[in-house]
Amino acid sequence: MNSITTKNLAIAYDESIVVEALDMKIPYGKITTIIGPNGCGKSSVLKAVGRILRFKTGAVYLNEEDITTLATKEIAKKMAILPQSPTAPHGVTVGELVSYGRFPYQRGFGKLALNDRKIIDWSLEVTKLSELEHRSVDTLSGGQRQRVWIAMALAQQTDLILLDEPTTYLDLSHQLEVLELLRDLNKKQGYTIVMVLHDLNLAARFADYMIAIKGGSIICHGTPDEVMVPHALKEVFQIDAQIVKEPRTGRPVCVTYDLVR
Amino acid sequence: MGSTGQQQKKKSSKIIAVLLLLGILLILSIIFSMKSGYTHLTFHDLLRILLGGGSDKENLVLFTFRLPRIIIAMLVGAGLALSGCIIQGIARNALADPGLLGINAGAGLMVVLFVLLFPTKTALSVFTLPFLALIGAGLAAVLIYLLAYKNLEGLSPLRLILTGVGMQVGISAAMIVLVILLDESQFNFVTVWQAGRIWGASWRFVIALLPWLLVLVPYVFFKARVLDVLSVGEEIAWGLGVSVERERRILLAVAVALAASCVAVSGNISFVGLIAPHLARRLVGPGHQILLPCCALTGALLVSISDILARTLVQPSEIPTGIVVAVVGAPYFLYLLAKSGR
Repeated sequence: MNSITTKNLAIAYDESIVVEALDMKIPYGKITTIIGPNGCGKSSVLKAVGRILRFKTGAVYLNEEDITTLATKEIAKKMAILPQSPTAPHGVTVGELVSYGRFPYQRGFGKLALNDRKIIDWSLEVTKLSELEHRSVDTLSGGQRQRVWIAMALAQQTDLILLDEPTTYLDLSHQLEVLELLRDLNKKQGYTIVMVLHDLNLAARFADYMIAIKGGSIICHGTPDEVMVPHALKEVFQIDAQIVKEPRTGRPVCVTYDLVR
Repeated sequence: MGSTGQQQKKKSSKIIAVLLLLGILLILSIIFSMKSGYTHLTFHDLLRILLGGGSDKENLVLFTFRLPRIIIAMLVGAGLALSGCIIQGIARNALADPGLLGINAGAGLMVVLFVLLFPTKTALSVFTLPFLALIGAGLAAVLIYLLAYKNLEGLSPLRLILTGVGMQVGISAAMIVLVILLDESQFNFVTVWQAGRIWGASWRFVIALLPWLLVLVPYVFFKARVLDVLSVGEEIAWGLGVSVERERRILLAVAVALAASCVAVSGNISFVGLIAPHLARRLVGPGHQILLPCCALTGALLVSISDILARTLVQPSEIPTGIVVAVVGAPYFLYLLAKSGR
């Protein structure tokens, strides 16, 4: 079963076409990473799937349902999306921001019910933020902040989370911390995770399934072992890459590369 | 969990304290405002007149002149503050304000045109004024929205502010052109309007303004959660299931209606929509469920105090209330700018 399917998807900004006729399948219950060079349209695809960006033609199916037929609040109960490096309003606390994840379930004046409270507490606990609930988001480190956004997405109680470069501006250990949190969510809670990642090795390390995009089309897709091969990377990134299997994780790693001349 | 529970309690009791304090200050400002003016009334006089023991002259001063003016000042302050708070939320820009965006100016242009064409203040005109102001403000807002809106990208906060400022300058220029066509009394009216003198200080104006606020203000409170989510940014808001464009248009329309109905009776009082939300945010934080009521109280207090100063500083004459607000507000605004720049 697929979590997301796109059929013949086309995306354009004003006159310039970014993606043309994209057919993509995101498997259910897996971690999928989307890789590709700058400007290849990977973020645009994520935004179009997340209905942030209106696509020109084609269709996006969420659990086999056409998203244009679903109310946006209903979509928010099935799919959470985090844009690249979002900024919180000045002075908002961790608990408040996470409570915004309950928006799709609230009615009227929006008082939080007991059940909402429970889910917010759970989201804070899973992301190890319970201690920081009353801290202002401004005062947190980059890694903590990213966990807050993930907690907000968890409070949405979806089974699918889309993330656009969740490791941007984070140092090495915090990158791992965020990605390990996402892997835990996938393994223990059964979340389907889709993320655009810049770093090839991290993408290969955490993905069950990889999609490589260039010029708005899928060049190749499959397991990290199938995608992290020299000829594929040559076509996608114009690099001559040396790939080895890294013994600690058993995943393919690009140890060095040159530009293709 | 014990400590976080305590923190929660501490925070909510702080909020209650802030709201109470604002309420008390507002009541004090009302009492003080009733006492002061050309005819000074002592606290004792005040009590006597309120209990029905005033002379005809005293009754006239308090019930016909002062009370409606006090009420107008508070309503206008609350309305403009809420309008500013909404616009700042949807534009995600702390410098947004109905005055800055040219919405007040649009309303003013219609008011001025109306006074030009129908110089007599009939009862009918009082009730048509908010509608006319709304048309002017609405036209300005629609124009700003269309100019700032870009297909696929939606409404960019920066473009909104830039076109708004342009609009404001344009309309002010149009007003200056109009002023040339006016006779002396009309000219006076226009300058008074622009300076923000509460000119419609009678019960008729209170009745003309009140229904607008009674409908719009509860609606704004109803939308607190949407404002919260919108202020986190467009993409997050979409992700959480807000129909961003639709909600933004509705809220902008509400903000425009609030500003228009207020400036129709008060003249162009700027800075309230800018400063009151800032102050309120510092007092109670960014959550709109508490921010909005706090913002309304702050705005009411700000204009109410400014109006006392306007009426008492240079007796027997008076300064336009808008000028007083600006004199108080501009330094605060500069302070904010300097602080955020560092």
